[in-house]
Amino acid sequence: MHTVWVRLNAVVFFGLTVLLGLSCMAALSKVGHTLRQRPVVKKLEMRKFRSLKSHGGVDRALLSFDLDVDLTPAFHWNIKQLFVYVVAIYETNGRYNQVVLWDKIVEAGDSKVLKEKNTFIKYPLVDKRGGELRGKEVTLQLQWDHMPITGLLHMDKQPLDTSSKFFLPTEYQ
Amino acid sequence: MDKQVYELKKLWSNKRQLTFQVLNLAMIVFSALMIWKGLMFVTKSESPVVVVLSGSMEPAFQRGDILFLNNAVHEVHVGDVVVFKIKDRDIPIVHRILKVHLDQETGKVELLTKGDNNRVDDRGLYAPGQLWLNRDDILGKAVGTLRYVGMVTIALNDYPVLKYVLVGLMGLFVLTSKEG
Repeated sequence: MHTVWVRLNAVVFFGLTVLLGLSCMAALSKVGHTLRQRPVVKKLEMRKFRSLKSHGGVDRALLSFDLDVDLTPAFHWNIKQLFVYVVAIYETNGRYNQVVLWDKIVEAGDSKVLKEKNTFIKYPLVDKRGGELRGKEVTLQLQWDHMPITGLLHMDKQPLDTSSKFFLPTEYQ
Repeated sequence: MDKQVYELKKLWSNKRQLTFQVLNLAMIVFSALMIWKGLMFVTKSESPVVVVLSGSMEPAFQRGDILFLNNAVHEVHVGDVVVFKIKDRDIPIVHRILKVHLDQETGKVELLTKGDNNRVDDRGLYAPGQLWLNRDDILGKAVGTLRYVGMVTIALNDYPVLKYVLVGLMGLFVLTSKEG
């Protein structure tokens, strides 16, 4: 049969198949990229501790930090953007906590070198129960999420042994 | 179009041909269903593929992108892009995990999420009185994406009549197409 509908049917489904094939090839083309080239975090540490207060029974800490990292090795043609964020890792009584203090979207066209000096955190370090943050040791780690144009998402992070740590004060201030 | 209707009328008289074509249609439908259920089993997710409906994760994910989910992950980490549902609501939401509090003894975890493009975290979206999400609320972690493919689903959602038209047309073609 050579009606318009059969032709349309053939074109549409063939087109979709080709699109799917191209997407898979695009995704596969950069497998293993992260293994070969990884950004190195030159510096991520707390610059100035601002306050540790108790609000309504919940502890909240505010601080500012320095960051120096070149993210260029993480980019390739299939990466649309990197979602970069600073994670504070700490342990309280029997609980393991990871919270994001600051984040930034780095698009493929933006400057890939991040140099933050004395930057205030975006999200206060708040623990869900009171009296838990005083005196605790906090590790700051940089993590970033590769968001592709098409394909698999994957994350990478600064190795923990190069991460800086600091102690929260033992008294509210 | 008339040719299809003519073919359909011709079918009714020939019961053997009709049965064959109906079985053909059934094969296609059931194959699709098997693939879907298979995916659900492997990813342990009730919804292994979702369409991004809002702009709260732009510019990474736009309305119309589809996301592949995997729920066979034991732990959810901070920074993961996850899809979750608020209890008693139908719409799945795609956002990123902002905070994780894991009780090491019980293994229970409390999560807070936020859309990349939103100014505030999702507490306002949760059920009244709910401050945290649990692992059960998470439908899966996003592992891959395809652009624009989900536009079809959004169109079908906005104009439900299209669903019937589409299924009707596809059924008509399968029933009346002649092989060889």
